[in-house]
Amino acid sequence: MADLFDKTISALDTSIDMRRLRQNVISSNIANAETPGYKARKMDFEQALSRALDIEGKGRMHASNKEHFLVGQGPIANVTADIYDNPDVNMSNDGNTVDLEKEMADLASNSVLYRAAIQLINKKLATMKYAASDGMR
Amino acid sequence: MDFLTGMRVSSSGMAANRMRMNTISSNIANINTTRTPEGGPYRRKDIVFEAIPDAKNFGEILTGSDKEINRVQVTDVLVDRKAPLMKYEPDHPDANADGYVAYPNINLMEEMTNMIQATRAYEANVSSMNATKDMALSALEIGR
Repeated sequence: MADLFDKTISALDTSIDMRRLRQNVISSNIANAETPGYKARKMDFEQALSRALDIEGKGRMHASNKEHFLVGQGPIANVTADIYDNPDVNMSNDGNTVDLEKEMADLASNSVLYRAAIQLINKKLATMKYAASDGMR
Repeated sequence: MDFLTGMRVSSSGMAANRMRMNTISSNIANINTTRTPEGGPYRRKDIVFEAIPDAKNFGEILTGSDKEINRVQVTDVLVDRKAPLMKYEPDHPDANADGYVAYPNINLMEEMTNMIQATRAYEANVSSMNATKDMALSALEIGR
């Protein structure tokens, strides 16, 4: 049974939401690049999202009884980010672990991937619009 | 938690580095100042940055989700306690009984390096603010 707004949209939706959060985490690291003792934070969501996509896809375990619990992460909308102190860093003399070059690179790639997700949503909506207009513009 | 959070964090970084720049300018401008309202030569100032969790509301503080995003704030201005440089200038009106004048102990090279560091940090915050703004604007294009 195909929904009108299928899991592509909800996966992209989650991706956009997570990238927005990552943007805030990176901004926080950049703002505190000179703060003594500040520990750089890192955020992961890709693995959680791909696990959730798999659960909703082929690797799904069916619950035939409503008393059964679904195994795994659950729906895509429930994907949560994992934020932790970045372990892969060099500490400077004042205890700060922010690597400004790395943060700027992450900032750029995060913003490109965010735009990519937005474009994909737009393309998806455009195909639906095309189908809804009976193939005519 | 939204784009405004990121922009608020970046702007706090810009404000903190502007404050640092002002302090450095003051140090450079007063490199030869022998008179101050407190008396004695000008003393070099230094500022202290502190990471402040950016919590918008009570819920974020309660759940601890405010720990991840940190603003930066200037929490203290330190006054350098290094001994002033004594120069022998008997004709100077601020000379002491032995003919020595106390000048601020400011190293111009040190101030210049700090200045470049503050400029770069400020620029990094501007870039991150612009990236955040562009992302927010591109979100408005959904469904166009």
